[in-house]
Amino acid sequence: MKKILVPFISLLFLAGIVIGAAANGTQEAKPMALLTQAPAKFNDLVTAAQKEGQLTVIALPHDWVNYGEAISTFSKKYGIKINELNPDGGSGDEIEAIKANKDNKGPQAPDVIDVGLSFGPDARTAGLLSPYKVQTWGTIPENVKDADGYWYGDYYGALAFEVNLDVVKTPPQDWADLLQPAFKGQVALAGDPRTANQAIMAIGAAALANGGSFDNPKPGLDYFDKLNKAGNFVPLIAVPGTVDSGETPVTMRWDYNALSNRDKSDGNPNIGVIIPASGVVAGVYVQAISAYAPHPNAARLWMEFLYSDEGQIIWLKGYGHPVRYADLAARGVIPADVAAKMPPAAAYTKAVFPTLAQEASNKQYIADNWDSIVNVKVQAKQ
Amino acid sequence: MTVTGVQVTGAHTARPSLRASLGRWVGLVPFFLFALAFMLLPAGVLLVGAFQDAQGGFTLVNLAHLFRTNILHSYLLTIEVSLVTALGGALLGFLLAYAVTLGGLASGVRHFLVTFSGVASNFAGVPLAFAFIATLGRVGLVTTLVKTLFGISLYDSGFNLYSFWGLSFTYLYFQLPLMVLIITPALDGMRKEWREACENLGASGAQYWRHVALPILMPSLLSSMILLFGNAFGAYATAYALTGGFINLVPIQIGAQIRGDVLHDPNLGYALALGMVVVMTLSILGYTTLQRRAARFTKT
Amino acid sequence: MRRKGWSWLWVALGTLYFFLPLVATFLFSLKGKKGVLSFIAYAHVFSDPQFVQTFTFSLEMAVVTILAGLALMIPTAIWVHLRLPRARPLIEIFALLPFVIPPIVLVFGLIRMYSRPPLALVTSPVLLVAGYVVLSFPYVFRAVDAGLRAIDLRMLIEAAQSLGARWGTTLFRVVLPNIRVSLLSAAFLTFSIVVGELTLAVMLAWPAFGPYMALVGRDLAYEPAALAIISFALTWGALVVMQLLSRGLRGPTATPGGVH
Repeated sequence: MKKILVPFISLLFLAGIVIGAAANGTQEAKPMALLTQAPAKFNDLVTAAQKEGQLTVIALPHDWVNYGEAISTFSKKYGIKINELNPDGGSGDEIEAIKANKDNKGPQAPDVIDVGLSFGPDARTAGLLSPYKVQTWGTIPENVKDADGYWYGDYYGALAFEVNLDVVKTPPQDWADLLQPAFKGQVALAGDPRTANQAIMAIGAAALANGGSFDNPKPGLDYFDKLNKAGNFVPLIAVPGTVDSGETPVTMRWDYNALSNRDKSDGNPNIGVIIPASGVVAGVYVQAISAYAPHPNAARLWMEFLYSDEGQIIWLKGYGHPVRYADLAARGVIPADVAAKMPPAAAYTKAVFPTLAQEASNKQYIADNWDSIVNVKVQAKQ
Repeated sequence: MTVTGVQVTGAHTARPSLRASLGRWVGLVPFFLFALAFMLLPAGVLLVGAFQDAQGGFTLVNLAHLFRTNILHSYLLTIEVSLVTALGGALLGFLLAYAVTLGGLASGVRHFLVTFSGVASNFAGVPLAFAFIATLGRVGLVTTLVKTLFGISLYDSGFNLYSFWGLSFTYLYFQLPLMVLIITPALDGMRKEWREACENLGASGAQYWRHVALPILMPSLLSSMILLFGNAFGAYATAYALTGGFINLVPIQIGAQIRGDVLHDPNLGYALALGMVVVMTLSILGYTTLQRRAARFTKT
Repeated sequence: MRRKGWSWLWVALGTLYFFLPLVATFLFSLKGKKGVLSFIAYAHVFSDPQFVQTFTFSLEMAVVTILAGLALMIPTAIWVHLRLPRARPLIEIFALLPFVIPPIVLVFGLIRMYSRPPLALVTSPVLLVAGYVVLSFPYVFRAVDAGLRAIDLRMLIEAAQSLGARWGTTLFRVVLPNIRVSLLSAAFLTFSIVVGELTLAVMLAWPAFGPYMALVGRDLAYEPAALAIISFALTWGALVVMQLLSRGLRGPTATPGGVH
């Protein structure tokens, strides 16, 4: 039995691998040739997009910077059906979905992506993106876009404390407060630092508040080590359910998500959103069009919509700072009621935007050292 | 009295011809074709990435990374969790299944347990994690009850749901029912007469178990244990939701590399997955050896 | 008598373990309105048209997967038992591999392989069902195998054939009724897997129940708890229906444990 077993299985895997390698090799689809040139005039773009009739987006939850309103407004305005994939997905999911669907023109292939800053350049190098410069390109700040138009920043937010005020009577104002005994067993991250942007940025922010920086994240890890040793840290991912039930009443999240959670809870329980006094980190996400988009013109029209005043203000309504915020404010086109609902602008003046290089070194350091420094590792002997 | 399972002997005395040998494999062709077309080849297409770098060129770097301390540690931890819940789930599931099939209870109880097991066997992931958080978390139902009724604070006494044992305890919720579902038919096959005959011959309960019941049940017990092991080995959603990725399991590492927002080294992810395939295959070969040893006991 | 007491103890412990988390979830789901216990979270779930749509879709997929999986596995398991026990370790490995192939790897592989003609299956539900059958391999094979082990298959088949039955009759009226319990287990397990499955449905862009539950669980606090209880109850109902339907399988030869 063993005589045939081992060779047979090895043969099968070998076959799979060989076929896989061959398949990889033959997938020399030329992205540039797949995507036709964009129509020169805006109206021609609209017509071309409407002819395509559909747009496939991925990883856009409706309550994430008010994407729900963006999707329905776009759909109604242009009569283009939007097909929503994997709302729960992360940036990695989006990139892998483009890669897997290179030959697929069906509804599983995303047309556009919204990913973390560091994913933009990597995706460009991997040949997964198609460049496009929207009409308002000039008003997008230089440091958050790719010079050739492959990816471009869309919105940003600052990391804030999200607090269940029914459980926590005195909300924390700064990172140092969280180390107090009053917060025993109450503080959690909103994700795994190796997987979730919000979590790793929280560590970076803690570093900033404790004498470190994005080039030196160790103080951030030391902070969480202290938090853990004080018994204040809960090794659980904070989701609305655990915040509301009181299991993880204090967590750190992007302000737009925290504010959206507050609105959804509608007092049951009362949620407070506080931008810390020190250690304020801002994070940018970027938009891009897939090089293998089945509906390239619909994709371009979607970008035009998002970067128009109307689209940017929809994001603002979702508590996200749109990337053209400075331009909108200077021209006075932000509605007063929308501006009033945002947290005070003063809190954002201290916000630190990590550069691409800083993000890269920061995340590698934290991913390598999280286990050993924070020691939340649990052994079988426990 | 003979107590045998199916006696499988090759009735041929002469060496079979090549044609006859191959002919015996014919009935398995549909299964192999299906497995090839929808499991092995699709997985192979991606797992070949374990040997590639980001640009697609051949490299062994990813495999080398597998031997980093923290990755080896995560494999060990994953194996530990799977072993503990496989053994625990098998033992407790067996006792529960035995209690309702041969324990002298009304058949309605067994009926209920089997149906419940069907539902609970896949109650996993976020809903399960949340259910246990709501029960045994710091502000969970049982935690608060114990505090109000007995004045004891579970967490101050060292209990912690968010730990290796807490995770294993939670895993049992789907391991136990799985064991019940698989072992019940085997328990059905145990005849009351055998036990009665043993008692008539003067054997004690322990001797009945050691010489009659366990040898018969051993193949089924072993096969359910490997199933439970595999079930826990690949589990991801429950662990992530319950421990936030703070317990360093391999499936969570794979997710972090392929799907997450922070790290993005899918080739390393594929190498990790390939590592899991290797561990699983070795476990199955180990289990097969155990099975053959156990099979000796069924021959009389 | 002592044995009965001991049995009741285990059942009691089991009940405690299994029911307390459900009770805790249920109690939490009633907190949708501040200060009072209310079913408002359930109202929200039931009033969502997507709930019924996605559950029905997953139900249909589950039924097809069960039939396809059993049709593939039963002959395979029987063949291994009767004709080629030496192939057992190989089948075991194949039937346990789905545990260690991450679903995300499987689905991306399926998409890549089947996006181009002549095998452009990626937009057809066939691919989803095929993926589900693969995911159910471990459970279905194990269940059917356990059932075949518990009966004396060879003798049953020989007896039936010596009485003149052909393969069809032997299979459907002799073998299957004797492994009815295992078939039910296999069906139960497959059903649970398909209804809760997330990754394949999401990446292949199908409106299934798993993704719907994940979406609700992402943002809301009380509705996911309500949804968990509801899906528990619905799955229970479906399993009861399956049990009732399978009563028809019971033939005259169905004694638990088979012939000896």
